[in-house]
Amino acid sequence: MMDWDWSVIVEYKDLFIRGLLVTIELTVVAVAVGMVIGITSGFMRISRNKWFIPAKLYVDLFRGTPLFLQILFFHFAVLPTLAETFGLEAPDAMISSFVALSLNSGAYIAEIFRGGIQSVDQGQLEAARSLGMTYPQAMWHVVLPQAFKQMLPPLGNEFITLLKDSSLVTVIAVNDITYAAFVTAKNTFVRWAPYVTAGLMYLVLTTILSQMVSYLEKRFQTNRY
Amino acid sequence: MIRVEKLNKYFGQQHVLKDIDLEIKEKEVVCVIGPSGSGKSTLLRCLNLLESVTSGKVVVNGHDLTDPGTNVNQVRTDVGMVFQHFELFPHKKVIENITLAPIHVRKVARAEAEQRAYELLTKVGLKDKAESYPGELSGGQKQRVAIARALAMEPTLMLFDEPTSALDPEMVKEVLEVMKQLTREGMTMVVVTHEMGFAREVSDRIVFMDQGMIIETGSPVQIFSNPQHERLKTFLGKVL
Repeated sequence: MMDWDWSVIVEYKDLFIRGLLVTIELTVVAVAVGMVIGITSGFMRISRNKWFIPAKLYVDLFRGTPLFLQILFFHFAVLPTLAETFGLEAPDAMISSFVALSLNSGAYIAEIFRGGIQSVDQGQLEAARSLGMTYPQAMWHVVLPQAFKQMLPPLGNEFITLLKDSSLVTVIAVNDITYAAFVTAKNTFVRWAPYVTAGLMYLVLTTILSQMVSYLEKRFQTNRY
Repeated sequence: MIRVEKLNKYFGQQHVLKDIDLEIKEKEVVCVIGPSGSGKSTLLRCLNLLESVTSGKVVVNGHDLTDPGTNVNQVRTDVGMVFQHFELFPHKKVIENITLAPIHVRKVARAEAEQRAYELLTKVGLKDKAESYPGELSGGQKQRVAIARALAMEPTLMLFDEPTSALDPEMVKEVLEVMKQLTREGMTMVVVTHEMGFAREVSDRIVFMDQGMIIETGSPVQIFSNPQHERLKTFLGKVL
């Protein structure tokens, strides 16, 4: 039976609003921290310096295992152990989620970043260096602006994926959108309305995000090259 | 100006430059000719260390590039380079391509850099293209902008790596004209080229390379009219 009792949504609206805010917060933090981690390890991945080999290990580990497992692993193994070692309180689920999502997105962004840079012809770097520019100058003025254009579509995909996959933190009882739907359905025995509501909320968020990305893509397209 | 001593270069196991000795004096125009894969371009790229050197010495303007203590960026500001595939920065306008390095490397004021850029564009006949993007230019125009970009750093030495090889035939001349003008102004130039007519006309000296070695060096008359080595004779027989 399809139970469309929308009144439960009104009844549980605070939970859904909180869920919306938490999902946005998780995504924004994971994107921001993931960008920093991703750019750093992306640069390490293109470097020939052997000290940066662990960057590859990091990327492989986080891309090669499920995000779901990573969330459980950080929440129930890594962070509690660290807390015990340093005599701190066990971290709450929100912290675990930030850590797992940021590290996971960092690994994907690292590869997007590396791919973007490597898509720029080596001759561009050489031309910049031949003019006396340092490596950072050549990267900043010549390579990165061109790489960024290549990186935008996959970055947009990654952000949308991250937004949706943040729903996995429901399993460690973080109050995100999915959790709100789950709790509402469980408490009221109304099965359809809560999950459909959650789905619509994600759809609105992903639509906004993809609009933002295509706006940026268009802006960069106007540079005629 | 340039002194190369016992230069050796390996790509993995492949020995691409073998005991190269070469000296180039100020205001000298030297063309490097030879079959594909003979190491011409690699030698040229060693002169500003775009290619690392396996052993030997490369001294440019008194700086030993093979000495790890040398500030290579500093040396490169005095050595202009023009590439086969132009390598203009596609996301920047022509004028920005030219002013980028003067502003950020030489720390020249933007207005001054732009004024100089316009002078150079006038010189290469492209003043009206200042606000265009490289994608809107023909190959010959791109290469002339690339020459202007290199000249904007006011180099004492210019390296040309097959500057006309990627051009349609009708555009070769306009680029060679600009290069000839530079030779008349007394620029020191090393040119890797397949344009034998150009080499014969403008060179003070021609270097013939084959299989990673300098086989023969001499004036255009010596090289073209009185070649000594069999390999050079064979090569000239194919290209002339």
